[in-house]
Amino acid sequence: MVHDIKTRVAQNVSLFANGPWLSRSVVLFLLAAPLLAPDPYIVHILTLSLMYAVLAGSWNLLCGYAGIFSFGHQVFFGIGAYVSAIMAMRMGTSPWLGLLIGGGAAALISVVVALPCLRLRAAPYIAIATLGMAEISRVVAQNLVGLTRGELGLWGIPGLSDIALPLAGTISFTHNRIAYYYVMFVLFLLITGAIYWLIKSPFGIALKSIRESQDAAESLGVNVALYKIMVFIISAFFAGVVGSFYAHYILILTPSSVLSISVVVEIITITLIGGLGIIWGPIAGAFILTFSLEYLRFMGDYRLLIYGAILIMIILFMPEGFVRRIFPKRKLD
Amino acid sequence: MSMQAAEQLINGLILGAMYALVASGLSLIWGSLKMLNFAHGEFYMLGGYMVFMAFTIMGMHPLIALIFTMVSVFLMGAILQHLLIRPLVDKPGWDVSHIVITLGISIFLQNFAHRVWGENFQNVPYFFNGTSTIFGLGISHQRILILVVTVLVIFLLITFLKKSRAGWALRATAQDRDAATLYGVDVQKVYMWTMGLSAALAALSAAMLAPIYSVNPWMGNAVLTKGFIVCVLGGLGSLEGAILGGILLATAESLGVLFWSSEWKDVVSFALLIIVLWIRPSGLFGTKEW
Repeated sequence: MVHDIKTRVAQNVSLFANGPWLSRSVVLFLLAAPLLAPDPYIVHILTLSLMYAVLAGSWNLLCGYAGIFSFGHQVFFGIGAYVSAIMAMRMGTSPWLGLLIGGGAAALISVVVALPCLRLRAAPYIAIATLGMAEISRVVAQNLVGLTRGELGLWGIPGLSDIALPLAGTISFTHNRIAYYYVMFVLFLLITGAIYWLIKSPFGIALKSIRESQDAAESLGVNVALYKIMVFIISAFFAGVVGSFYAHYILILTPSSVLSISVVVEIITITLIGGLGIIWGPIAGAFILTFSLEYLRFMGDYRLLIYGAILIMIILFMPEGFVRRIFPKRKLD
Repeated sequence: MSMQAAEQLINGLILGAMYALVASGLSLIWGSLKMLNFAHGEFYMLGGYMVFMAFTIMGMHPLIALIFTMVSVFLMGAILQHLLIRPLVDKPGWDVSHIVITLGISIFLQNFAHRVWGENFQNVPYFFNGTSTIFGLGISHQRILILVVTVLVIFLLITFLKKSRAGWALRATAQDRDAATLYGVDVQKVYMWTMGLSAALAALSAAMLAPIYSVNPWMGNAVLTKGFIVCVLGGLGSLEGAILGGILLATAESLGVLFWSSEWKDVVSFALLIIVLWIRPSGLFGTKEW
């Protein structure tokens, strides 16, 4: 009898320690966060954190799981943002549909970005090729002034349109940061869930095998080129959706804000702070970086200096990231 | 038209010489450390500021200012390599960690320069005033000086690599690190010297160009991407490739301006980069390691 209770306690303890309680409590916390702190400024920072979590998560799928060190992820973010914004402004497309169209446009472009990367294996070569693509897209967006208004900025983008929900009634998105937060929260759950499901599926196992050894994967019958293109398309679609959300949330776009190298630098920093190749890595990293940068706002121009220093410190002293440092023993996906 | 073309060609040649200096530094680093140095543009930028301090502010003789610039940036490169890059070099994850650490250094140095020297563009006067007329073309002495210095430095660099013991050590490390270690080469020391040398080459080209373009904290960005393009064209790690690639790119760019507007110039060079990576990833002279 006593023995029985002991084993039961032990079982429950191990379930408590290893089960998804942490994930559940984080999700619950994120669900309640805007109600706990209804200050518009904090809700804004939370929304940005979630946005960066998803964006970095989509990069993590590419780099952390498939081992493709892309330096051009801003292309997908920027294309999603511009396509959705321009469609909404010129043709009056609904911004809700724009989320999908932005993602689709980014997915289309990703095939072009992926093609030169198929033959390249070493991270530096892939980094240069994707960086080249990203710079082309930035220069094109800067020069197509008739379409994008260049560096003057594309403004007057419509925000998300009102929706009627059962129970909640009509929700207006004008000056309603909490509504935007919950849209981002739903996108976050859907996309992070999809990425988690993907990396658990045979598809994800194939990706990891490509990351570990391309030759071994190929010899075991994994169609490396096909998988690489597919992971590019999926990752780009997610980044494009986030870009489109960004356009309808921030309401102004410039090539240097959505298509410059600084976007991908931020993505890389976030993922590394949290941990590369871990589903929770970009999420933890996004919240840590976004909130600490906001906290450092009082330091004014020194912020970016510190940003560089953080990047150096992380790679020198904690290359495995925060999440693995906190849970050194646990098997992390 | 033909005069204009000839003038463009000469300017292209001079610019190409500079690209070649920057890219040969990147190539040396890639060859020995297998590292894409994202902070290379910042050594270029620091070179610009050093010559600004030495020549414009302190009024040193141009030659002394150049030497001061090269030595100080050499030291910065060597110290950064020793403190920050050495702990990571050749450790697991190096092919990603080097990109991150050099990015961090790049962001840090850019904003450091921004804090110290401000965001205003700083001007450096010509080292020598005046223009000469050669074959009916007016070329300023500064540009002639750039061409002469670059050719001289590239010649010295090749001689150093081919003839001196230090140069042998560097090339041996680039070819096979383990074998070089077995033969008694102190690889870490070679890495430090290579980093310093490559930083000094970038600084020299910035110092020579500073009177033509002005100096600002972000001047390294454009140079870095150009340097990468040149390196890929010539084949990463190949010095000859970097030199020829530099001249090729600059000539193509300068002549290209005659046919299409200058805003699209960068699109063409990046497209060239991607096509070369796609069709011939090893570049014109590179080895097969992609």
